[in-house]
Parts: sequence; structure tokens; C-alpha cells
Amino acid sequence: MSPQPHDDATRAPRRERFLRGVRLGLPIFLGYVPIGMAFGMLARTAGFTLTQAVACSALVLAGAGQFVALSLMRTGADITAILIATGVINLRYVLFGAAVSPYLRETGLPIQASLAFSLTDETFAVNISDQREGWADEVSMAGVGAVSWVGWVGGTLAGAALGALVGDPNAWGASFAMPAMFTALLVAQATDHRYVLIGVVAAVLALALSLVLPGTWCLIGGAVAAATIGAAMFR
Amino acid sequence: MSASYIWAAILGMALVTYVLRVLPITVLSRVRIPRPIERWLSFVPVSVMAALVATEVVRPDGRWLAPLSNPYLLAALPTAAVYHKTRSLLGATVVGILCFLALRALVG
Repeated sequence: MSPQPHDDATRAPRRERFLRGVRLGLPIFLGYVPIGMAFGMLARTAGFTLTQAVACSALVLAGAGQFVALSLMRTGADITAILIATGVINLRYVLFGAAVSPYLRETGLPIQASLAFSLTDETFAVNISDQREGWADEVSMAGVGAVSWVGWVGGTLAGAALGALVGDPNAWGASFAMPAMFTALLVAQATDHRYVLIGVVAAVLALALSLVLPGTWCLIGGAVAAATIGAAMFR
Repeated sequence: MSASYIWAAILGMALVTYVLRVLPITVLSRVRIPRPIERWLSFVPVSVMAALVATEVVRPDGRWLAPLSNPYLLAALPTAAVYHKTRSLLGATVVGILCFLALRALVG
């Protein structure tokens, strides 16, 4: 079997291509389960029911976005602010979608629309490298997406169900779980000196704005201003 | 937190996130994004994460803490170092929480 992305006759059967995607997505699954569990536990302590925690992960499927929304909801932010924050944080999906889209030119609209649902940082990274090698197609991408979704939702269910057994989550450092994850994700984004510099600008602006604006808005204001400075500085 | 507040947030987030995912795939497989917008978008993730980390660790729960007695800020340093070395989100989070617990006992 040789890589022939657009010639159906020479490709492996659909089942085999789907299972190949599932295998590619297994590391994502293993990463999502514990972080999904953390989300499930934190959602319960924030006041979500088990159904709400699981529905949130199943419908939104956005790690950082869900954690940010949760921390905003704990402070009683209004829905508009939460949705704007979610939108700003998840704007990166626009970039990912733009990068994947050339590979999906020949795919029908319904299949494009369902693949879009499972687009995350991790599935994007796996699919785009698979595409560069000439293997990925809509069936393998569906496999990657499916196994990732199961990991995220299953982890959330386990965390939300078992969280009560663990006792007070603060005693084992839960209040640092989100900051720790965001810190790691920040390092992951700071790929060269331009992004490091703009990150510093965003941090300083957000802190300065926090003196005059309530929580959510200083975050959004700092981030949008810093990205604009970055786009103007680095042409 | 009321049930209607939580459901509104969940459904709203699901909608916003899905629109951001589906539009580029379905529309941009037909047109191209203008360069300046593309550049702006490329700075969004790092800006959001930096603004978020800064506000969460420098002023946790909205209170400014002195840097040397702030376990959040101090624990963020080893967390970043571990991620930088290992590229493991889970590993960095676990190490970060352990450092936080130790630092909270020491200085918090």
C-alpha cells in the first residue's frame, strides 16, 4: 500500500484507515483522560452536576477554553464575557482549520462539518504531520477525532463521578491545576523570540489593565492588544 | 451557580467554538485569509495564554500577592521548566502541583 491520497481504488478499506487514525490518536487519548478527569473534578467543585460536566466536555471539546470558562464562572462572570473569552481563546482553531482546509478540498460539506467538530491542538498536530506524509484522509482523521473525544469525555465522566471520593480538592493542590496547565500551554506557544516578546507584552498589559477593569475584560483587552502589536511589529 | 447559567454557558461555548472550527474548514478550503489577519491570528494563542497565566499567578483570586510569598508565582517557574524540557503537559502539571503544595507549606 503506497500513499495515494486521492485515489480511492488504491487505498486501504475504510475500516482499516479509520483504525489507523485511532492508533495515531492513542497518545492524545492517554493525555486527555487525566486532564479530562481534572476538568470533571473542578467542574463539580465549581457547582456543575455530573450531567453538566460531561455535556460540557462532549459538546465543547476544548481543553483550555473549558478551564478558562470554569474559572470565570467561579467568579460569577456574565455569559457574554464568558463567550467572548472562549471565542478569543479558541480563535487559534481558525488558524488550524485554515491549515487543514487545503487537504479537505475534495471532501463533501457534511463530512467537513463533522471533522471540524474534533479539531483541537492535539488532533491538529497529529493530522497535519500525517497529511505531510501523504497518508491522512477524512476517514483516518475521523478515527483520530473519535478516540480523542472518547478520552476527553470519558476522563471528564470519571473525574466528575469519582471527584467526590477525593475530598477537598484544595488539599491536594487543585487550585494550582489550571495555572499549571496554562503555564505549560504558554511555554508550548512561545516557539521563538517574537512570540516570547508578545507573551511578555500581553502579561504586562493584562496586569496593568487589571487595575482598572474586572477580571475577564483585562484578560481579553491585554490579549487582543498584544496580538495587534505583534501583527504590526513583525511583518 | 444556577442551572440555567451553567447550561447557557455550555451551549453558548459549544456554539462559539464550533463556529470557529467549522467556518475555516468549509469556507477557507475555497478562499484565502488576508496576510495581516493571518499574522494577527498567529499571535492570539500566546497572547491569551500569557495574559491568563500572568493574572492567575500574580494575583490569584483577584488578590495581589508579594512575589516571594506567592506560591502560585513561584510554582509556575518549575512548571514552565519541566514543560520546556519534557514537552509533557501532564508531567508539567503534576510537577507544578507538587511544587505548589511544597511552596504553599513553606511560604503561603
